[in-house]
Amino acid sequence: MLSEIITPELFASAVRLATPIALAAIGASICERSGIVNIAMEGLMLVAAFFGVITTLFTGSTWLGVLGAVAGSLVFAALHAWSSINLRSDQVISGTAINILALGVTGFLMETIFGHPGTTDSVDRLDPVFNFPVGGEGPLATIWLWIDTVFLSYTPIVYLGIFFAIFLTWALYRTRWGLRLRALGEHPRAADTVGVSVLRGRWVAVLISGLMAGLAGANLTLEQVGSFTENMTNGRGFIALAANIFGRWIPGGAYLASLLFGFADALQLKLQLFSDVINIPPQFFLMLPYVLTVLVLAGVVGRALAPAALGKPYKVKG
Amino acid sequence: MSDADKRATKADPGSPQPGQADSPEKRFALEQERRQRAIRIATPFISVGIAIVVGSIIMLMAGKDPIAGYSAMFSGAFGGPRQIGETLLRATPLIFTGLAVAYGFRAGLFNIGAEGQLFLGGLAAAFVGLKVAGLPWIVSAPLVIISAAAAGAAWAFGPAIMKAKLGAHEVITTMMFSFIGRYLVSWLVTGPLKSPGLIPQTVQLPPESRLPRVSDVFPFVGANRAHIGIILGIVAAIFIWWVLKYTVMGYEARAVGFNPWASENGGISVSSTIVKSLCISGALAGLAGAVEVMGVHWRLFDQFSSGFGFTGIAVALLAKNNPIGVIAAALLFGALSAGAGTMQLEAGISQKVVFILQGLIIFLVGAETIVTWAISKMSRRGAADAV
Repeated sequence: MLSEIITPELFASAVRLATPIALAAIGASICERSGIVNIAMEGLMLVAAFFGVITTLFTGSTWLGVLGAVAGSLVFAALHAWSSINLRSDQVISGTAINILALGVTGFLMETIFGHPGTTDSVDRLDPVFNFPVGGEGPLATIWLWIDTVFLSYTPIVYLGIFFAIFLTWALYRTRWGLRLRALGEHPRAADTVGVSVLRGRWVAVLISGLMAGLAGANLTLEQVGSFTENMTNGRGFIALAANIFGRWIPGGAYLASLLFGFADALQLKLQLFSDVINIPPQFFLMLPYVLTVLVLAGVVGRALAPAALGKPYKVKG
Repeated sequence: MSDADKRATKADPGSPQPGQADSPEKRFALEQERRQRAIRIATPFISVGIAIVVGSIIMLMAGKDPIAGYSAMFSGAFGGPRQIGETLLRATPLIFTGLAVAYGFRAGLFNIGAEGQLFLGGLAAAFVGLKVAGLPWIVSAPLVIISAAAAGAAWAFGPAIMKAKLGAHEVITTMMFSFIGRYLVSWLVTGPLKSPGLIPQTVQLPPESRLPRVSDVFPFVGANRAHIGIILGIVAAIFIWWVLKYTVMGYEARAVGFNPWASENGGISVSSTIVKSLCISGALAGLAGAVEVMGVHWRLFDQFSSGFGFTGIAVALLAKNNPIGVIAAALLFGALSAGAGTMQLEAGISQKVVFILQGLIIFLVGAETIVTWAISKMSRRGAADAV
C-alpha cells in the first residue's frame, strides 16, 4: 500500500495544494513586515477566486480572468490599506469587515448573476506550462517520470508562487526597498525621521499582499477547480497567516511552511481513497490541515519574532 | 471607578477645583470631551445609516428597488407576532455570541472562533439533553445549559493556553479550533450519535431538555417560534455587565485589555486573566449552541448554526462591547436575518446583501474616523449655513 501512497503524484499534488496558501502567506509576510496585520487574506482570496471566474466567463479568456482576479483582490486590499493606514482603524477589525464583506459581495453577485446560490458555471482552466512526453520502461524512465511530475507538471501560477518566494526574499534582504520595508515594521518613527514615507511604503506592502491573494484566488478557481463555490477558500487565508508565522515572516520561509500544509492536505486526500483499508471517518482527514496549523503554532513562539510595530497605527506628525 | 464615572467627575462643573472651573482652556477641554463622547455614542447609529445607504446603492446597481427591498425586509422582521417572534428567535443566539466576542474584546482578545465553541455547546446540549430524560425540567434544563457552557469553555481553553503561554495569536488558533469542532460535530451526527434513518442528525430531545416557547408561557403574545432563551440572553447580558463593572475578575479583564504591561506591574496575572477571559467567552458562545439546540431544533445536525458565531463579531463591535448594547445590536441583526428571506422572496434581492450590510457596519464602526470626519463635515457645513 505504501508504494501506492508515496507516488510522484502525491508530491506534485502537495505543491499544487500548497500554492494558494503559499501565495497568501508570501503576501502576508510582506504586509506584516511593513507593520500592517492582514487577516483579510481569506476575503481577498475569495474575491479573487470569484472575479477570476466571472471575468473568464464574460471575456472567454482565462488569462484575462487572472487579471480580473488580481484587480478584484487589489480593490479590497486598497480598502484595507485606506482604513488601516490612512484612517488608522484597528487592523484586525478592518480585516474582519473585509472578510465578511467578501462573503457578502461574492454571494450577492453570484445569486444576482447566476440566479442561484452555490457554484458558478465552469470555465476553461490554465494548462500546464510544459508538456514533456513520459512513459517507457526501466529505471531511467521512472526517474524521468518523478522529475517531470514533481518539477515540470505545473500550471503557470504555481511557478509564479515559487518565483515570488525567491524574488521577494531577495528583495526583502538585498534591496533598499526591502530594508526600508523592514524598518517600517520595526520602527516607523525612525524610518519617517530619515525620510522614508511610512504611508506610501505601507500602501505598497498591502497592495503586494493584494496581488498575492489575487494570484492565490486565481490559482484556486482558474487552475485547480475551474468554477467558484461560495466560501470556497475554507480557512486557507487563516492557514496562510499561520504559515507566515511558521516561516518567520520571510517569503521563502512562508513558502516552505505552506508546503507542509500542502503535503498534509495531499496526504489526507490520498488516504481517503484507502478508506476501506484504513477505517477512519473522512472528517478526521478533513481536520488534518487545521490540526496541523494548531500544532505548528504551538511549536513556535510567535511573539518574539513578529515585527515590533505590527498592528500599531502610525500617525504622521504634521 | 469605571471610565464613565471618571468622565462624569471630570465633566462635573461643580467639582471642587477652585480657580480652574471658569478658565477658558478648561471650558474648551470640557466642550471637546462632551463632543467626543457624543460622537462615540452616535458612531454605531451613523454606521448603520451609512451601511443602509451603501446597501441601497448596491441594490440599485443590481437593478433592484431598494425601497421595496427594505420594506419587504421590515415587514418580514416586524410585520406581526410571527415575524417578531422570528426576529427574537434569531436574536437569541446572537446575544450570546455577541456577549462572547464582547467579553473577549474587553480583555483584549479577539475570539473569532466563537462559531466552533457554539458547535461544541450544541453538541454537549444534544448529548446531555438525551441523558437527562426523565428528570424534572427544573433540574434537567439547567444541567443541559451548564454542560453546554462547560463544553464551549473547554473548546476555548486550548487557544487560551496557547495564547497565555506561547503567545500564539488567538485569531488563528480559535479559527482553527472552529474548523476542527465543526468536523467533529459532522462526524458525530453522521456516525456515533446519528439517529436511525437517512438524515445525519441526533434523536429528538425529550421535553425535559427543551426550552419552552414564549407563547407557551405567555399565550397572549400570539403564535410564534420565539423561545424563552431570549429571556436567558437578556439575563446573561445584565450578568456580564455586572461582572465587568463590579467584580474583581471583570476589573482584571478590562485592565489587561486596556494595558497588559501596566496590569502585570500592578500585580494582575496577565496569563491567568487571558485564560479565564477566553474561557468565559467560550462558555457564552457554548450557551448560544445550547439555546439553538434546546429552543429551536431540539436536536443536533451539521448545519444547525447559520454563522451565529461570526455575526456575533458584528454584534459586539456595533455594541462597542457594551453588554447591554449587545442586546440592541443582536435585535438589529436578528431583524436583518429574519427579514432577509422575505426580501429575497418579495423583492427578488439576494439575502446575501445582509452579509454586505454586516461587513460595512463592522468596517465603519472600526474606522471611527470616517464617521467623525462625516460629522465634522456636516457640522462645519451647518455652521457655514448659519453664518
